[in-house]
Amino acid sequence: MKISLNWLKQYVNIDNIPLNEMLNKLTLSGLEIEDVNDESAKLNNIVVGFVKEKKKHPNADKLSLCVVSIGDEDFQVVCGAPNVEAGQKVIFAKIGAVIPHGNFTIAKAKIRGVESFGMLCSESELELSDDHSGIKILDPVLKEGTQVSEALGLNDVLLEIGITPNRPDALSHYGIARDISAIYNLELKYPAFNLIESNQQISKLARIEIEDTLNCPRYSSRVVIDVKIKESPFWLKESLRKIGLRPINNVVDVTNFVMHELGQPLHAFDLDRLAGKKIVVKSTEAESTFKTLDSKNRKLSPGTLMICDAEKPVAIAGVMGGENSEVSDKTQNILIESAYFNPSSIRKTSKYLGLGTDASYRFERGTDPHGTMLAANRAAQLIAELGEGKIAAGVIDVYPAKINDKKITLRIGRIEKILGYQVPEDQILQILQKLGIKVQSSNKSELQLSVPPFRPDLEREIDIIEEVARIYGYDNIPTVEKIYSTLAKKYDESAFIDELKSTAVSLGFYEMINNPLQSVTSASLMGNKIALLNPQSQDMAYLRTSLISGALEVVSRNIKHGERNLTLFEIGNVFNKNNSEAINSFNDFAEKTKLILVITGNQSEKEWNNPQIPFDFYSLKGLVNSFNSKFLLDNVLNDSYYFTQNRIFDYSFEKITGNDIIGFGGKVSQQVLKQFDINQDVFCFEYDLHSLQAVLPSGKRHYKDLLKFPKVLRDFAFIFDKSVTYSEVIEYISKTSSGLLKSVKIFDLFENESLGTNKKSMAFALEFYDNDKTLTEEEIDKEFNKLIVSVSNNFNAKLRGN
Amino acid sequence: MNLDQITSVSGEFDKDLSSVIVLKELEELRIKYLSRNGIVSGLFEKLKDVPKEEKPAVGNKLNALRNYITENFNLAKIKLEEKGSAGKQSIDLTLPGTQRQIGSKHILTQTVDEIKSIFKGMGFSTFEGPELESDYYNFEALNFAPDHPARDMQDTFFISKDFLLRTHTSPVQVRVMKNYKPPIRAIMPGRVYRSEAVNARSYCMFHQVEGLVIDTDITFAELKGTLVFFAKQFYGNDLKYRFRASFFPFTEPSAEMDITCYICGGKGCKICKYTGWLEILGCGMVDPNVLINCGIDPEKYTGYAFGMGIERTAMLKYNVQDIRLFFENDFRFLKQF
Ligand SMILES: [Zn+2]
Repeated sequence: MKISLNWLKQYVNIDNIPLNEMLNKLTLSGLEIEDVNDESAKLNNIVVGFVKEKKKHPNADKLSLCVVSIGDEDFQVVCGAPNVEAGQKVIFAKIGAVIPHGNFTIAKAKIRGVESFGMLCSESELELSDDHSGIKILDPVLKEGTQVSEALGLNDVLLEIGITPNRPDALSHYGIARDISAIYNLELKYPAFNLIESNQQISKLARIEIEDTLNCPRYSSRVVIDVKIKESPFWLKESLRKIGLRPINNVVDVTNFVMHELGQPLHAFDLDRLAGKKIVVKSTEAESTFKTLDSKNRKLSPGTLMICDAEKPVAIAGVMGGENSEVSDKTQNILIESAYFNPSSIRKTSKYLGLGTDASYRFERGTDPHGTMLAANRAAQLIAELGEGKIAAGVIDVYPAKINDKKITLRIGRIEKILGYQVPEDQILQILQKLGIKVQSSNKSELQLSVPPFRPDLEREIDIIEEVARIYGYDNIPTVEKIYSTLAKKYDESAFIDELKSTAVSLGFYEMINNPLQSVTSASLMGNKIALLNPQSQDMAYLRTSLISGALEVVSRNIKHGERNLTLFEIGNVFNKNNSEAINSFNDFAEKTKLILVITGNQSEKEWNNPQIPFDFYSLKGLVNSFNSKFLLDNVLNDSYYFTQNRIFDYSFEKITGNDIIGFGGKVSQQVLKQFDINQDVFCFEYDLHSLQAVLPSGKRHYKDLLKFPKVLRDFAFIFDKSVTYSEVIEYISKTSSGLLKSVKIFDLFENESLGTNKKSMAFALEFYDNDKTLTEEEIDKEFNKLIVSVSNNFNAKLRGN
Repeated sequence: MNLDQITSVSGEFDKDLSSVIVLKELEELRIKYLSRNGIVSGLFEKLKDVPKEEKPAVGNKLNALRNYITENFNLAKIKLEEKGSAGKQSIDLTLPGTQRQIGSKHILTQTVDEIKSIFKGMGFSTFEGPELESDYYNFEALNFAPDHPARDMQDTFFISKDFLLRTHTSPVQVRVMKNYKPPIRAIMPGRVYRSEAVNARSYCMFHQVEGLVIDTDITFAELKGTLVFFAKQFYGNDLKYRFRASFFPFTEPSAEMDITCYICGGKGCKICKYTGWLEILGCGMVDPNVLINCGIDPEKYTGYAFGMGIERTAMLKYNVQDIRLFFENDFRFLKQF
């Protein structure tokens, strides 16, 4: 919200407070100063000038040649404005001045062969208004040489203050002044104004009825008659310009001025355009449309609070007036609306319409139901004064159910309980009084408070404690020097994920973090996707159902950047509907945490001493098994293989235990790669972390004695039928051997016509040992030979080297 | 044989060795001195003729001579072999070694880890919760009234009328309070979503670390102490800080903590919007309504909560100018951290 410092000074005397200190204290108290714009600095070197002489420019018809005096010095200035005349007081920008509009610096110039030492300015060039029809003519009493900022009251400081949604009371100059008065213990004053009523009775001129008293608890009004609609005076236009509003006419400008002065939004109706000279406040029953004063047709939902006349709606209550009752140049008689609306009703309407106005912004946060009459009076007085109108005698103030001050008990000791510091009681009383909170009674330990409704955020004792704390100053509350911990049990729900991440990193993977919001194509790769009700864009309209699509997007982007060798992992949540129903409970969807490993390109590039090695299916499998071995899962999980293509993979495998799939992965299919515009093989594996965690060996890890006896290694190689798989052989060997065989590894595999048709050779390294003794050659030979015979017989395999 | 004789052999060996240039000559030297019929063996032969009382001294000297010759011979051999291979077999030690790829955690994870470890050191537990939340946990239980403009502070992605993507990690606070009895000291890291425009400064999701402490005598003064401790650990001991009144529906009193802008040192720059201060976190005393909603008696217990955005923190700390870089996962970016 924009605040003018000069305007603020009308309500609180801050002349003796250094500006920076005050702004800092306001920020610390919760009214955050977001921007400071010192206008006087902006108009340096721009002064009041006196046009001593005006001649025609010798070389240009439309230009004049002027001599401008600033008192002690004269300047020759070329001017193009049609309205410049000798004897005028004008705005003169000296060389070096920066013109606000366009932000350019005045330099000595030669215009059509004549030198010019400065510029005469229009209102628009100084950004005082849009008027660029000619230079601005100043009041002749102004002394030449005076800084223009001083002469025109432009030496103001404009503030941008961030107001949190709990503080509607601070959405006005008077409201900000109130906080300053509390911070500095200063008097808050509202300037007296003289309201002169005519003998025309308001009751003869207009009537007001509230039908929906729930949503409109109070409607106050004044009528001003015989008003001349015209341009506002300079002070009012300037006031509005400073806070970023465009002046319209004297009536509209006054309503805006009073809103920014007191925080009460007002609306001015052309009384003669109200059928039956009557206002009825009621909510719509059916869907309808209404043309607002910005000439737009608005669709209204049933239950929208409307201001109507005897026949038709004339305004959307609290949001925007209607075109049909707007004040125009021809308006003579004005009905001023100053109402209090139910905040949630205005918010619903504003949200529904997607239409937020300065008025709705204040109403939906909560205005002061006790302040409607003051604002109506203030506006009536100003309109009458600026429009030469007459204020009808009396007011119309429909207020069916009075809204009372709130009664709150503040236990003095509770302040220390919350803050850890006891604010002195005299300070507490002073702060409350300055904030407009009345102490009705008190004893040693408690204050009975009466809180006016302009502070809708103050309802409970804790709200009062916050007021005391923020005005007293958070920095004045001590910071404890010692931090205490507890002996209570500690939990770490992210420990498992932390360990997974470390493991992936140790295997050479880089972590990625992808946006779970995806396009329909990406989210449709697998699963049962969930849509957002209000997506920002089609690219982010669904929640991811797996980590695969996001990973493939990353692979695709990186390859386009020339990064073709990638080892990436991600841990993140994926979302799937449990059925096709809408999501109304946590049972309707599943949010699961997944881990994905992705590899593509080469695991090592060609080097002077090594060949290039591309990633393949076995690289993936090996990495997955390395990963599993870190978590002692080598003997817990089984592999299940899929040799044929499915939706995502050309071929793939799963890690399973019992009926649970812990993870799955494989070589991503060409079809999917094409969808993601990837032209190289990609292998990925996705774990379900909940399932993974469930199969982790439980209990603590224990040290196992190191082997004290030697290991004995033996090799053998067989020629098998091609159809025999590695895992069949391994399983058979493990099953048949005694406990002495501790490990079998395949170390060579080859196929060649020389072996016979449809034959292949597999060579295995066997490792024998006994934990309790040294094995003898005889024991091993016996075991080894037995295995040779069994394998030969079982697979009809031929031992090689025999 | 006497001691002088042994000394002179040593001198002769030194002289011979100094003239050796190639391995072949060294081998000749070995035969001359160290072989079975070499000079040293010969001297040992003669030991038996030495008078008994002189034997220990001569024996010692002889042993020392043999060791001296052996060591120097070995050294010379290694040197000559190295020289020889450089000439003949040519090992180019300047060729590049075979490097292994070391992976890394995402810079946001690293930032969270650093924050977590500071709070762990203060005895905080860590909890997590779902990202797809109900309106109840994300708003209602946290004292956001329906139809209140406070809800506009967090532009929300809705899934259905009552379900949404959490806009802060505060719903985890509610879950922790409902599931564990005080005392509670916990942090809650996690991902959150807000419907904000995607550009260099904002994204539709980001990460937070929130904290929650509930016990019988927790005060605003302790909140300040804890967060100052954290900030000094994370940003450095010399920082200046301030607590500024603010508003969050779930805390009261509420504050925002600023530290001196470490880009400009407080003088004012673009990053701190010329204020000289950087907002690092929001905090406050847990609102009694929230405690009541979670089944905790606000008369008996008080508590504080705080929350900080990770992306913002990491952007400042690592001078990342565009938040989107965090989520593009460009390998060249990932490898930098
Ligand atoms: Zn700065």
